[in-house]
Amino acid sequence: MAAVCATGCRLLRLCAAAVEGPWGRLRGLGLARGFLQPKPDGEDVAPRRQVAHFTFQPDPEPREYGQTQKMNLFQSVTSALDNSLAKDPTAGKDRVFNTPLCEQGIVGFGIGIAVTGATAIAEIQFADYIFPAFDQIVNEAAKYRYRSGDLFNCGSLTIRSPWGCVGHGALYHSQSPEAFFAHCPGIKVVVPRSPFQAKGLLLSCIEDKNPCIFFEPKILYRAAVEQVPIEPYNIPLSQAEVIQEGSDVTLVAWGTQVHVIREVASMAQERLGVSCEVIDLRTIVPWDVDTVCKSVIKTGRLLISHEAPLTGGFASEISSTVQEECFLNLEAPISRVCGYDTPFPHIFEPFYIPDKWKCYDALRKMINY
Amino acid sequence: MAVAIAVPRVWGPSRSLRQAALLLLRRPGPRGIARNHLHRQQQQQQFSSLDDKPQFPGASAEFIDKLEFIQPNVISGIPIYRVMDRQGQIINPSEDPHLPQEKVLKLYKSMTLLNTMDRILYESQRQGRISFYMTNYGEEGTHVGSAAALDNTDLVFGQYREAGVLMYRDYPLELFMAQCYGNVSDLGKGRQMPVHYGCKERHFVTISSPLATQIPQVGAAYAAKRANANRAVICYFGEGAASEGDAHAGFNFAATLECPIIFFCRNNGYAISTPTSEQYRGDGIAARGPGYGIMSIRVDGNDVFAVYNATREARQRAVAENQPFLIEAMTYRIGHHSTSDDSSAYRSVDEVNYWDKQDHPISRLRHYLLSCGWWDDEQEKAWRKQSRKKVMEAFEQAERKLKPNPNLLFSDVYQEMPAQLRKQQESLAHHLQTYGEHYPLDHFEK
Repeated sequence: MAAVCATGCRLLRLCAAAVEGPWGRLRGLGLARGFLQPKPDGEDVAPRRQVAHFTFQPDPEPREYGQTQKMNLFQSVTSALDNSLAKDPTAGKDRVFNTPLCEQGIVGFGIGIAVTGATAIAEIQFADYIFPAFDQIVNEAAKYRYRSGDLFNCGSLTIRSPWGCVGHGALYHSQSPEAFFAHCPGIKVVVPRSPFQAKGLLLSCIEDKNPCIFFEPKILYRAAVEQVPIEPYNIPLSQAEVIQEGSDVTLVAWGTQVHVIREVASMAQERLGVSCEVIDLRTIVPWDVDTVCKSVIKTGRLLISHEAPLTGGFASEISSTVQEECFLNLEAPISRVCGYDTPFPHIFEPFYIPDKWKCYDALRKMINY
Repeated sequence: MAVAIAVPRVWGPSRSLRQAALLLLRRPGPRGIARNHLHRQQQQQQFSSLDDKPQFPGASAEFIDKLEFIQPNVISGIPIYRVMDRQGQIINPSEDPHLPQEKVLKLYKSMTLLNTMDRILYESQRQGRISFYMTNYGEEGTHVGSAAALDNTDLVFGQYREAGVLMYRDYPLELFMAQCYGNVSDLGKGRQMPVHYGCKERHFVTISSPLATQIPQVGAAYAAKRANANRAVICYFGEGAASEGDAHAGFNFAATLECPIIFFCRNNGYAISTPTSEQYRGDGIAARGPGYGIMSIRVDGNDVFAVYNATREARQRAVAENQPFLIEAMTYRIGHHSTSDDSSAYRSVDEVNYWDKQDHPISRLRHYLLSCGWWDDEQEKAWRKQSRKKVMEAFEQAERKLKPNPNLLFSDVYQEMPAQLRKQQESLAHHLQTYGEHYPLDHFEK
């Protein structure tokens, strides 16, 4: 089984040169050495880069998968890809390669590879740029098996892409487009909350016999560090995880937001004496209705939170299904704490994101309903 | 993240696009990874030289001090390769592929059988017996000429007007009809509109309606290359679909990633009602190939031997050299776009008649067969009768069959059925228990 990865180049990073380096040569041109003066202390200046709105909580070291190593999220993704490549008996530089800069081409090419039965792992540099590939994903990948009567399929295609807010990403480096794809039968959409989860879920996506989209919370790439098994292992798709049991409120999120609601659960316990059940949805579609409903039947209250805009966000699907299945168990209306219905702003990010205070406030209102 | 691009050296005697029949892009040295390394080494050597030569990574060219724009040459565009004249006579004997009688007869019978099937199924739509149909009138030559030049295991990605390729590969009439009727025998399980054929055994990927989406799926050729499968991929599309972004993506990827693929464009003059004069301003599709670094040719699509020769050469070289080839087959869409179209609204009957009577792939091949003494009027009459009978039989059988079980509405969305979907399937079954009389259940398998 041959594995292939393809990427397209997108983001330009301007690196500040060391003062002694190129700037040194410009001295002769009359420019002061290190002409960027540091800000004087104590002055009332604009805030520096934001403190993160979440605290990553590593899970306890997994024991059942053999030797582990400290990895951050992008290292765990790389580890998954390495494991995957190791399964392929062929070798060669042509297994991992750059492509021309064209997302519809990247995904289309990946579909073609998958149609022959080979494994294709396509990278879209930011989830914000997945839209040119929307036709290939929705009209082709998702429908390949169905429309051919199972004569053909592209199940061995996985698309992976950095996802979600990062503190300064603005409109085009912060998006969470899972809701667009949730509306498309035939594909699976997965979002991990941590390095350990990421590796197991990504390996499951790669091995899954259906085309999968794997969104990686980019803000966790370096911020999330924990012990991750070196050997390959699988975490099942379409299974939500109850990461903390509770009796009064069910909190549901995915990706980075899981760490926000975890903290909200602590706040609720401390300040209100409220016991929260925290669920990481993990697979957006097909989603684990049973786990969420079972929890809401127990607690009677549900709060769902995501960075993506409120209207048409995936919380609306969860909310709608839960009120159908658990109507009589509900003690309060289902609460959604999400991004506003605006494009993702730059300087206003601290106000935009559904942070722990907004979630806490919504929880409080639910308790007092 | 670095993007490494190896740029081929492009030579030409002049800057105009007037070229010989086969456009040659000469590359110094071997193809593949070795060439990339060689080229990068050469560039590095050049960089250290003190000559006033261009050092740009993006282009391999000399400086010029005269301001001159390259003129796109559409007046006398890329010439059209042909082997037979309109009367089916070989023009240049050295280009005659000398196909054996059996093969030429197979070409002829495939085209005529397709034509007969088209007539009957078009009529059946008019009579409300199937919901939709697309004929292939006038383009049969492009299908069978190219299909005959491929290996049987070469993978075919089509647009929707390539039924002749399947016909040549002996796809049974029963299955053509089954798909159009969406009956229990349809391998596609009744999910798609008519003419959306697919066949795994015959390596014909199931047709999908969105235009040009199959073109970037050249990854299949890349996988075949990696697997050393000695397998080419052919990708058909019309001149209208070639305007889609997916076409640009597919061409660029195939060339840059060195895929053994044949891009086969059926330029039939119309995209529904949009004539080519409103589709592009350049010299058709063939002229775009060199822009991507693709070997390109334009052929007379109504000349089965020209199509055959070009496809044969392209196929052999694509696999041997791991590079794409672009064939633009000029032809004419004699029929309407589909049963939802009445082309008299945008073109004259005279124009259509010209092609039907004066330059038809079937007639030209028939003249060739007659002049070889491999066919005569009696055989023609007998074959017409026989092919009509075969088609009618398959047609009547297909019409009598039931449609598939409605449960097949729900399967194959994923390889395994998700729990939510199973619930929906159960809810339909439940609904039908009460309201079944309002549904055409009698026509469907229980």
